[in-house]
Amino acid sequence: MRNFSGLLVNEWLKLSKKKSFFVAYAILVVVFGILAFAFYKLSPDGLDSTLDFATGTIMLQAAGQLVPVLAVLAAAGSVTQEYRYGTIKFLLIRAQSRHKILASKYIISIVYALSLVVTAAVLAVVAGYIVYGGGSGDSTWTDFFSNMASLAVYSIVFVTMTFMVGILTKSNGAAIGIGIFSMMIGSLLVMLLSRYSITKYLLFANTDLSVYRSDAIPVEGMTLAFSIVILLVYVALFLSVSFAVFKKRDIA
Amino acid sequence: MKTAKISNPSIVLQLSGLTKKIGGKAIVDGLSFDIAKGEVVGLLGPNGAGKTTTMRMIVGLIGMTDGDVHICGQSIRTNFEQAIRHVGGIIENPEFYPYMTGYDNLKQYQRMTEGVTDARIEEVTKLVGMQDALDKRVKAYSLGMRQRLGIAQALLHEPKLLILDEPTNGLDPAGIKEMREYLKRIAEAEGIAILVSSHLLSEIELMCSRVIVIQEGKYVTARSLGETESPKQKIISISLQVGDAAHAQAVIEGMEGIEVVSVTASRMTIQIQHEKIPGLVAGLATQGVEIYRIEEVRETLEDEFMKLTGGNRIA
Ligand SMILES: Nc1ncnc2c1ncn2[C@@H]1O[C@H](COP(=O)(O)OP(=O)(O)O)[C@@H](O)[C@H]1O
Ligand SMILES: [Mg+2]
Repeated sequence: MRNFSGLLVNEWLKLSKKKSFFVAYAILVVVFGILAFAFYKLSPDGLDSTLDFATGTIMLQAAGQLVPVLAVLAAAGSVTQEYRYGTIKFLLIRAQSRHKILASKYIISIVYALSLVVTAAVLAVVAGYIVYGGGSGDSTWTDFFSNMASLAVYSIVFVTMTFMVGILTKSNGAAIGIGIFSMMIGSLLVMLLSRYSITKYLLFANTDLSVYRSDAIPVEGMTLAFSIVILLVYVALFLSVSFAVFKKRDIA
Repeated sequence: MKTAKISNPSIVLQLSGLTKKIGGKAIVDGLSFDIAKGEVVGLLGPNGAGKTTTMRMIVGLIGMTDGDVHICGQSIRTNFEQAIRHVGGIIENPEFYPYMTGYDNLKQYQRMTEGVTDARIEEVTKLVGMQDALDKRVKAYSLGMRQRLGIAQALLHEPKLLILDEPTNGLDPAGIKEMREYLKRIAEAEGIAILVSSHLLSEIELMCSRVIVIQEGKYVTARSLGETESPKQKIISISLQVGDAAHAQAVIEGMEGIEVVSVTASRMTIQIQHEKIPGLVAGLATQGVEIYRIEEVRETLEDEFMKLTGGNRIA
């Protein structure tokens, strides 16, 4: 067990020792700063409290979208950078199974994504408090935490997918490209295909769980439980492929 | 615990029928050899011979199509973690996380193995003479420094076997000499077996006790290096410088068991049994042949290697 925590520390350091590590957090700070300033100047209708601001801005349709994008950027590099640097040859000749090494990489990719979710959520509340100083609006803490949870789920799903693409293609660029492209195109695709009931089995129809708190359900008949099951199936599939391929792969 | 078929405890590395086929083509073909504790063995072959592929299989980076590799009796194939713990290696170029310092890079590998202490990090960095550069980021390192750091990471967990793939590649002659010296020092200080590959015999012959020659993935020959006593019956080539070669030739042709290979005005080359040389010298002297030089004509290992591997294929 001590060994596995060593692997986790290693993976975290590979991320955090990079100069670009703080850039992701800095981007979130800047974006929420700008939003706070804009809201302060414009005071748009319907937004009356810290919680209204925080709940609204961390949505996927708002500044929240940055979180999975930044998380995907890091997840894409987790395996592919080892190939790029050539360090994979040192990494895989230790008394550690490939499964354990990959598990440590996946876990840290998720931890990093969650750290971005939490950062965004804290920033949203702080920025909202600066602008509104509390206030009373329609949003509740439940709304806020639901949106935060949806953001986390969405990020985890795309991180998992990107992680797999990185292993399959060994290319950082391809993994980032496919990860972000499918985020963009996914919801569009679901909109176009929403009249076919088979669409509900598409990954992209299920990635945004916040739809169940509004009435914008993508395909008729879908439920929260259904979406969770579909997501679990996809994540299990992505991980099985990732681990199977990484275990067998010749490192040439 | 699984026990291998070998019982000799001093065998550190054992290849048995190691084979790698890619797309139907055998890149490594039925390679078998053993390396014992404390041996420094060269794996020699022209570019494309399959040295890197062999070493990748030994450390489990690629799968084997057939055969097996045992390290200290443990199979890399079926018992990877138990086998690989005894191995340190550098396959092709040593590569590190360029944005981290040398020290941070070594810490990465320390965390991956139970029981590697900070004192051990210090010890190996001293051994390769890197203690002053450890705080620099690896991207600022020269190739020679990366080679040293590579060796340090390979030694960190006190392996019994070191696998080094063309460690002299890209180093200048001074660097090669230096590398040779500290590899020798390491073999002595750590008492470990080393398998080192090269496509140039001259770069490794001074440090290896044995070379294994492969070509097109197949075993060609193995040679022990260093001084070997000439057996009495052994036929050797002798070059003679004499006052009058024609006279000498006439004398020699009257003697038994000596073959004249070539003659010029004052020089001649003959083939003769080791034990007959004193008789030859005495015979020539009594017949009044003036002898100025008497030398053995040795085929150097490089010549032999060239012959074995078809010379022109060596880059
Ligand atoms: N992944 C691969 N696919 C196809 N051929 C390969 C692969 N890897 C190596 N080879 C071929 O196998 C041969 C041996 O390569 P290698 O082991 O790198 O030789 P060496 O290290 O002795 O120069 C070469 O002809 C090379 O082209
Ligand atoms: Mg090679």
